[in-house]
Amino acid sequence: MKLRLTTRGALEAAAYGTFILVILLLPTVADVFWLNRFAKYLVYGMLGIAVALSWGYAGVLNLGQGLFFGLGAYMVAMTLKLQSETSMQQGADTPIPDFMAWNSQPGALKDLCCIAPGSWLWIPFQSQAFGIAMVLLVPTAVAFLIGWSIFRLRISGVFISIITLALVLLVRLLIVDWQPVTNGFNGLTDLGWLTFGGFEFDPYVVPTYYLVAFGTVAVLLLTRLLVATRAGLVLQATRDDANRARYLGYDVARYQVFFFTVSGLIAGIAGAFYVIASEFASPTFLDLTFSVSMVVWAAVGGRNSLLGACIGAILINTIQATVSESEMLAEAWKAIIGLIFVLVVLFLPRGIAGLARDIAMRLAALLGRGTPAAQPLQKSE
Amino acid sequence: MAQNALVIDGIGVDFSGFKAVDGFSTVIEEGEVRVLLGANGAGKTTLMDLISGKTKSTEGSVHLFGREITNLEEHQIAQAGVGRKFQIPSVFRDLTVRENLIVACARQPSVLGNLRLRRNAAERRRFDEVVELTALGDVLDRVAGVLSHGQTQWLELGMLIGQGARVMLLDEPTAGMTVGETMKTAALINRLRGDYTMLVVEHDMAFVREIASKITVMHLGKHLAEGRVEQIEQNPAVREAYLGSGGIH
Repeated sequence: MKLRLTTRGALEAAAYGTFILVILLLPTVADVFWLNRFAKYLVYGMLGIAVALSWGYAGVLNLGQGLFFGLGAYMVAMTLKLQSETSMQQGADTPIPDFMAWNSQPGALKDLCCIAPGSWLWIPFQSQAFGIAMVLLVPTAVAFLIGWSIFRLRISGVFISIITLALVLLVRLLIVDWQPVTNGFNGLTDLGWLTFGGFEFDPYVVPTYYLVAFGTVAVLLLTRLLVATRAGLVLQATRDDANRARYLGYDVARYQVFFFTVSGLIAGIAGAFYVIASEFASPTFLDLTFSVSMVVWAAVGGRNSLLGACIGAILINTIQATVSESEMLAEAWKAIIGLIFVLVVLFLPRGIAGLARDIAMRLAALLGRGTPAAQPLQKSE
Repeated sequence: MAQNALVIDGIGVDFSGFKAVDGFSTVIEEGEVRVLLGANGAGKTTLMDLISGKTKSTEGSVHLFGREITNLEEHQIAQAGVGRKFQIPSVFRDLTVRENLIVACARQPSVLGNLRLRRNAAERRRFDEVVELTALGDVLDRVAGVLSHGQTQWLELGMLIGQGARVMLLDEPTAGMTVGETMKTAALINRLRGDYTMLVVEHDMAFVREIASKITVMHLGKHLAEGRVEQIEQNPAVREAYLGSGGIH
């Protein structure tokens, strides 16, 4: 039994190590355009982690994860918009987003305070530090409020999915409708670059890739650590049987709210990284299809595995990008991914991660047969 | 004179006109194993729901070692020291037996207090004690969902011990068990006798004779009779209530 556990742990460590090594070594083989593309896939990987945490570990199928992604994205996009050169060239002392200037009433004061109703909300975003603080704060606060309302009332199962789905569409509508402040359907484009200590994170340089890659690695490892704690174990217990956990003395709602909020925070951070790599934020981030896609990535990769869901997201998006080069395949892609999803749900409920684990365990058992110690097994990945 | 572990005073619940439990009172002493008898629908499980907070009472009160726990939330009642075992065994099926017991043995209910990887000495000691008592040592790394019925029941009982419950509510702990498993469960309960106070719902009279210090009989939501096994078996009111099913057997 002990041997089995060691093997399992070693295999998992090997899988994490390999994955981290691959994404950190990628710049040695790929050019910057490819790296930029891959940075976005890493961001999708973070979303996979967020979904796995909430769906796989907490048993909460959030169909509105895009809400937190979108909030994180808009927070950083607002601050980067004010850093862009066009915002400085609107004929005012302070930066003004170009769309506000275009849409302003004749004679309106050219200042963030009053160029459009509500434009004063942008004022603090002149500070990049403020924008980044908001990336962490706003998705967390919103996720906390939503989670608190849902879990205090002991809402569960499909009802959570319906509520989160409705909420992401509601916020999408608000952003599209609040045109003077958010630039509505067009989103925020023509952004400046993130600057740190004088260094500008141009999306098409290697350090920007590393910024996203280190962010992904940090999110992956910290989340893995989090679910390994006792609290993570209690969370999985509440997923299996919430009542049992209650009668053991756990306030189940607190655990659910906490991890729902962490999942929202991860999605928010992912949104911010996405903006840094892609230089725009748009209400499409809050489209239903996007939130549903995240669920598909996690299901295919393995929703019970953070790494699996992360790799699932990266893999599907890489294939999707390759496939969309050909027009015919691009059309068929949605049907293909839908089919893959159905097949995985039916035949591989633990996704690619579950399959890989089974194969690796069997190989390890095969190679380890007759060897007395666990040591040789650890090398067998 | 032993301390009163659980004092139930006139507890009742009104489900829009239907009183599943109606002004029920009893006092259970510390270390006692009390068996609750009654025909189907007598309100036994509802009484357990009322004590453990699953159902909120509309009258009466429950005191645990002198502290009022009436109508608190389930987790608060559990933290106060009431453990509950369900009729259909309820364990964390996707977690291993070890993980089930680790979750149960944690002394810290809050999220932030549990953001740690290691167990403290007290928790490890409790864990080892439970493993020894329930004889689950060989299956610790097995997923709870694949355990046999008997093992699942013992795991759940072990979790109650692990959580530090001073009063255990056991709803038909031998339901569906083989004779051998039932005897093993009786032996386990007898080992726990004295250290834990138990309120057990059970129909199997052989098992009841094996474990009961005292029996309380419920009928139509009310307290009907209370006493030692022989007294209850002779009691005319109990015979009357059970007449339809041919008396206690």
